[in-house]
Amino acid sequence: MNASARLSLRSLRAHKRRFAGTFTAVVLGVAFLAGTLVMGDTLRASFDSMFAGASSGTDAVVRSTNVITTPGESQGTRQPVRASLADDLAGQPGVAAATPNIQGAGQLIGANGKPIGGQGPPTLAGNWIDDPELNAYQLAEGRAPRKAGEVVVNRGAAKTGDLEIGDTTTLRTPDPVQVTVVGLATSGGEDGMAQVTFTGMTRADAEKYLTPKPGEASTIQVRAGPGVSQQELVDTLKDRLPRGVEAITGTEAAQENTDMISGQFLNLFTTFLLVFSGIALLVATFSIHNTFAIVVAQRTRENALLRALGASRRQVTAATLAEAGCVAVLASAAGLAGGIGIAAGLQALFPAIGFPFPDGELVISALSMLLPLAVGVVVCLGSALLPALRAGRTAPLAALRETAVDDSGASRRRAVVGTVLGAAALAATLAGVLVSPSLTLAGVGAVLVLASFVVLGPVASTSTVRVLGSPLDRLRGVTGSLARRNALRSPKRTAATAGALMIGVAVVSLFTVFGASLKATMDQTVSRSFAGDVAVSTPSFGAGGSGLSPKLAPALARRPEVATAVGLGKGVAAVDGKGRALTVTDPAALARAFDLGTVRGSLDDLGTHGIALTENEADALHLKVGDTTRLAFTDGTREPFTVRAVYDRSELAGDYVITREAWAPHRAQDSDTLVSVTFKDGVSAADGKAAVEKVAAAYGDPEVQTRDAYAQSAAGGIDMMLTLVYALLALAVLIALLGIANTLTLAVHERTRELGLLRAVGQTRAQLRAMVRWESVLVAAFGTAGGLVLGGFLGWVLVRASDGASDSDFAFALPPLQLVVVALVGLAAGALAGLRPARRAARLDVLRAIATE
Amino acid sequence: MTTATLTDTAARVENAVKVYGSGDTAVRALDGVSVDFRAGRFTAIMGPSGSGKSTLMHCAAGLDTLTGGAAYLGDTELSALDDKRLTLLRRDRIGFVFQAFNLVPTLTVAENITLPIDLAGARADTEWLDALVDVVGLRDRLHHRPAELSGGQQQRVAVARAFAGRPDVVFADEPTGNLDSRSGAEVLGLLGDAVRRTARTVVMVTHDPVAAAHADEVVFLADGRLVDRMAHPTAEKVLDRMKAFDGTRGDGSS
Repeated sequence: MNASARLSLRSLRAHKRRFAGTFTAVVLGVAFLAGTLVMGDTLRASFDSMFAGASSGTDAVVRSTNVITTPGESQGTRQPVRASLADDLAGQPGVAAATPNIQGAGQLIGANGKPIGGQGPPTLAGNWIDDPELNAYQLAEGRAPRKAGEVVVNRGAAKTGDLEIGDTTTLRTPDPVQVTVVGLATSGGEDGMAQVTFTGMTRADAEKYLTPKPGEASTIQVRAGPGVSQQELVDTLKDRLPRGVEAITGTEAAQENTDMISGQFLNLFTTFLLVFSGIALLVATFSIHNTFAIVVAQRTRENALLRALGASRRQVTAATLAEAGCVAVLASAAGLAGGIGIAAGLQALFPAIGFPFPDGELVISALSMLLPLAVGVVVCLGSALLPALRAGRTAPLAALRETAVDDSGASRRRAVVGTVLGAAALAATLAGVLVSPSLTLAGVGAVLVLASFVVLGPVASTSTVRVLGSPLDRLRGVTGSLARRNALRSPKRTAATAGALMIGVAVVSLFTVFGASLKATMDQTVSRSFAGDVAVSTPSFGAGGSGLSPKLAPALARRPEVATAVGLGKGVAAVDGKGRALTVTDPAALARAFDLGTVRGSLDDLGTHGIALTENEADALHLKVGDTTRLAFTDGTREPFTVRAVYDRSELAGDYVITREAWAPHRAQDSDTLVSVTFKDGVSAADGKAAVEKVAAAYGDPEVQTRDAYAQSAAGGIDMMLTLVYALLALAVLIALLGIANTLTLAVHERTRELGLLRAVGQTRAQLRAMVRWESVLVAAFGTAGGLVLGGFLGWVLVRASDGASDSDFAFALPPLQLVVVALVGLAAGALAGLRPARRAARLDVLRAIATE
Repeated sequence: MTTATLTDTAARVENAVKVYGSGDTAVRALDGVSVDFRAGRFTAIMGPSGSGKSTLMHCAAGLDTLTGGAAYLGDTELSALDDKRLTLLRRDRIGFVFQAFNLVPTLTVAENITLPIDLAGARADTEWLDALVDVVGLRDRLHHRPAELSGGQQQRVAVARAFAGRPDVVFADEPTGNLDSRSGAEVLGLLGDAVRRTARTVVMVTHDPVAAAHADEVVFLADGRLVDRMAHPTAEKVLDRMKAFDGTRGDGSS
């Protein structure tokens, strides 16, 4: 073994405790990263096998080529095919069986009256396919549906809703349908496809409730005869299909499903988590750098001795880096194990809290092990690089001096560089936000702001700690004063220690501010645009839920208490070649129930070929009132529409509005997303709401909310998201805390003689403990203050940038209460981090402390 | 200077000037010192504190650089060397014994002794090392850590390490400063023995006349100048010279 390596190993073994903090920081960061990757792979693999298993008996899928995809939607809306096509295909050579597959949204109501699912995964209904090989589900108990109103439900959904064979319940399609459960189904031996709920009805029921016209099917599923491959089958079918209809292999269809899930949910999910592991690792960088900087400072004499004895700079640097490398590899390896543990834990935990996480073996790919390992090692070595170079530059003469404590102040160059950087950052950010709105410019500016905070930390720490610590002198007398001076002693170290916490707190406050602003925006949107008295909606999330029955709004309008009830339906069409979501409604009533801002033209008589659109869209398409544009629908028709009105606010009404009459010929499974109800004059809020609830009960019992409650529930998702974000950021804050504790422990070690002296001249153990704790609180206070300012500013940038990037107005809100809580948590964290170092310092033996060389 | 003295000289400085700081606060630690340290001899540098004796040693040993003049190790001019070559020179041609903190606390005695050789990545001369270990009398301590040894034992390890790589010159900076008189005498005896038996060169900085008496020759420094040289010193002669020297202080070199 060469000399450098031996030196590093020996010093590691001798000073294990010094690296405990570094080790933990790397372990946590790597574990988070590895856990995320393993979990992502596992989810992907189980979706893969789920879809492959479900469609294993399907050799070809026949479907329309006409599909319209709106922005933000991964699957699109596809034109149905003629169901009787199945009979034509069944007779073809190479075809063993062909059956129409009718699928739509259908949400079951559980035994307790609450809808089942709808919070993410789809809630599906379809025809029960009798050919067991073409059916993704298998009958586990009971029998197949034979007559109208009989259904088979997948066992998972039945369990969630507490439904049993023989039970009668409601299926929202979205029109409420009375159904009786006659059978329970499984898919590939599991209770269902992940958390997707499925209700299988007779083909007649499916055609009646799930398709706009009888005789249509979503797709035709085909099984090949013996000895015919999927590709051969597709090739045979191709020539026999009508125009606008295509055939793909079963494998391709399964792959499409998997890709859709990946694109829609998994990628978002993993990216989200990766961002947070990145933050955790960034914070870890500070902790690691600090530990090595202090260790190197403390080892000045040893390194100088080595240099005097003929160790080259490179050898001393290499010895330090080798130490970092050892810690990195060991900690990363432990992190990988931890990551697998996290993934396994989440796999067990998620289903328990109702989050979809399919069963199956953990998928541990080479990438998800090698990447975190590499990141861990690079982060650790990268953070140790500067201290290691400094170690190499130790002057040999330093061996002859007393131990040098790193008390280097902030250099003038740092102040200048930091100020210039800060000014540039501010200029870029403000230009990107205020002058010529550009997310890129604002983003670059934000990163530069962060960098300038880090560079200026040591410059700012002296004055900030002095100010923050000034009450301590009065509050705690000499103990407080000593604590403050200790924190001021090495501005660089104080800043680096606080830097980790600063980033943690900054991200927390950034999200807090952004969340509060989003809520304020939401509130503002509802209060501005929603002019009704109550809102009726089915709270759902993602692909779940089935919306409201389009018959609900007319039914409500017939009540004597109700002045207007207008429902917003969904439609799709290609406008100018691009898929667009349409709002299908009664435009005249819409204008009364929602505030659309300035309206040019009139929404009163759109008729079957009139359209209203927002000003932004009209400008983009160069349309004005009276112009004509063509809309292409999923049924393949293209029709001219005349612009009758251009309005201002798209917030709740959407970008395009057409009438129900115009949509009817092209419609798919119809549903409304929201019904706005306005009461007649003189009707009390309570009476009106009760009347609406009574009607709604007959339509699948959706939620009826007052305006305020509606605004609140619209913002409810933000709170949920924030909670998740806080939980994830707790890790980064924890790493920052470990960093503070570690630095203090090392500082206590370094000041052994001085602490011994203080004890010798009469400082009590309690005073010593308090002194160390207060120093910790001061460092944390500095980090927290910096984090609040940085986070608040970045939050403002994000809000302004979002405002510039979207056409709706963004409100900026600073939530004082939450930010005070964040500040208190930061300070409490500092006190917590100081506990152990303070205890260790207090245990010091006075005589030995003074004798320490 | 004749050719004969050149080959006989292990290290020398010519007109050495060392200034610390600048402007009003500038301190001339060395003020034009010329001195040579003969090969195969044990030379002591003496002088009161602040006389520049440590600075002279540091510059002669390549630990510090001169402001003016030149320092040679053998025929090598030190100021011409960059940090890397200076490091290699220290590693291969110079040995050090410091007053304290001589040993790397995490390495064993044996590892400390071979440290310069290991740093060079060279193969140790086991016969030579064996002999050295016997001379310093630490055979039964080879696998102990420095913290487990007494101060005198630690300095003996440092002496063994200084000679381990057969350096041209061993520089010792107050090697007995932290030791009681018996351990000090042992260490000094060891240095003297090493010079006489193995024909090595030792240059030692000290302020202790008893320590200086172990040397073959003593050079006296005051206020950054060479003031005297004394061959075959005894403790009394050195002490007398030092007393006299307090009187001549400020006269400069005579």
